Amino acid sequence: MLEGKQNGQVFKLPKVILLATNITNVELEKAKAAGFADTVIMKPMRASMAAACLQQVLGIGKKRQAGKNMLNGSMALQGLLCGKKILVVDDNMVHQRVVAGALKKFEVAVECRESGKAALKLLQRPYCFDAFFMDIQMPEMNGFEATHPIRMMESKANKQMNGGMDKDSGRKGEWHVPILAMTADVIHATYDALNAGWMDVSKPFEEAKLYQVVAEFFKSTRSNCFT
Amino acid sequence: MERNPMRRQLASMRKSLFDQGYLDEQFMELEQLLDDANPNFVEEVVTLYYRDSARLILNLDRALERRPLDFSKLDGLMHQFKGSSSSIGAKKVKAESTLFREYCKSGNAEGCMRTFQQLKKEYATLRKKLETYFQLARQIGPMESANRPK
Repeated sequence: MLEGKQNGQVFKLPKVILLATNITNVELEKAKAAGFADTVIMKPMRASMAAACLQQVLGIGKKRQAGKNMLNGSMALQGLLCGKKILVVDDNMVHQRVVAGALKKFEVAVECRESGKAALKLLQRPYCFDAFFMDIQMPEMNGFEATHPIRMMESKANKQMNGGMDKDSGRKGEWHVPILAMTADVIHATYDALNAGWMDVSKPFEEAKLYQVVAEFFKSTRSNCFT
Repeated sequence: MERNPMRRQLASMRKSLFDQGYLDEQFMELEQLLDDANPNFVEEVVTLYYRDSARLILNLDRALERRPLDFSKLDGLMHQFKGSSSSIGAKKVKAESTLFREYCKSGNAEGCMRTFQQLKKEYATLRKKLETYFQLARQIGPMESANRPK
């Protein structure tokens, strides 16, 4: 097991759900281009957060504040998320159940798989998911390793489309299914990310920079359907 | 204020589970998911937890009998167990899991074994308390909690 140390410093985990790094815009673009997760969620997932996070990565509405209890405004949110298809990949059955329960409350159609391998089997075409909730630390194949083939598939499809129109939605654009990475352990998640070649972290975390970096991850995405 | 004495008792039981540190906010998060379509969601998840974690406890017991101890394996098992425990808001159990993992990281066999005994105690205590709680809740009827949205 890796220790949460670098250069003799022990990291203090910020009490936020986001993967933090003091990275520049250039590195950020590199990370995004490398297909890193669109956002990172601390486990255990707070039920009230699930819908809010999903809403943000899907670019629905202008709400910026995750972490507030969304269930008071849940009627509006329910309408927006209703019918979305989500894949939850988590080897912990109890946590999987909690995430699925939180999403189903908003009438999201949820599929669950226990491993990266099982998830990838499901993702042979045709498939149609609006987002993935992916546990990072799983045995056999961790979340980053599972992300890679997904991004490869998207990249291939994007090349085929060649910047042209998508006949189904009539939209131009790039396929990019938002992946919400779930982790109980931000430090190990960072090291996993590094080892998977996703990011280039060389400096200690800075909480202020954190929000800025991750806010840039939130992008509006189109509905993502591979057929 | 609940007029029904059983409801009062349930509320009081619930409050003491939080006040005494057996449960944390994650349990409240689960309660948020209770509705007419899922009136037993919390009990279902807790039941799943005890079923799922029984297996882990057994494996941990076995692993702790081996000599020398395989700290990496122990830590892996406890990682899973901690994940489940924190998913239902089992605060004391989670704390013992964290401590256990610290001992794994430092290769402290005695610390591991001592902590695991304590963990099993907390695990059993919580189970009993939750069983009583859910039994009463079922007697009363559909679950209601102060936080449940209308």
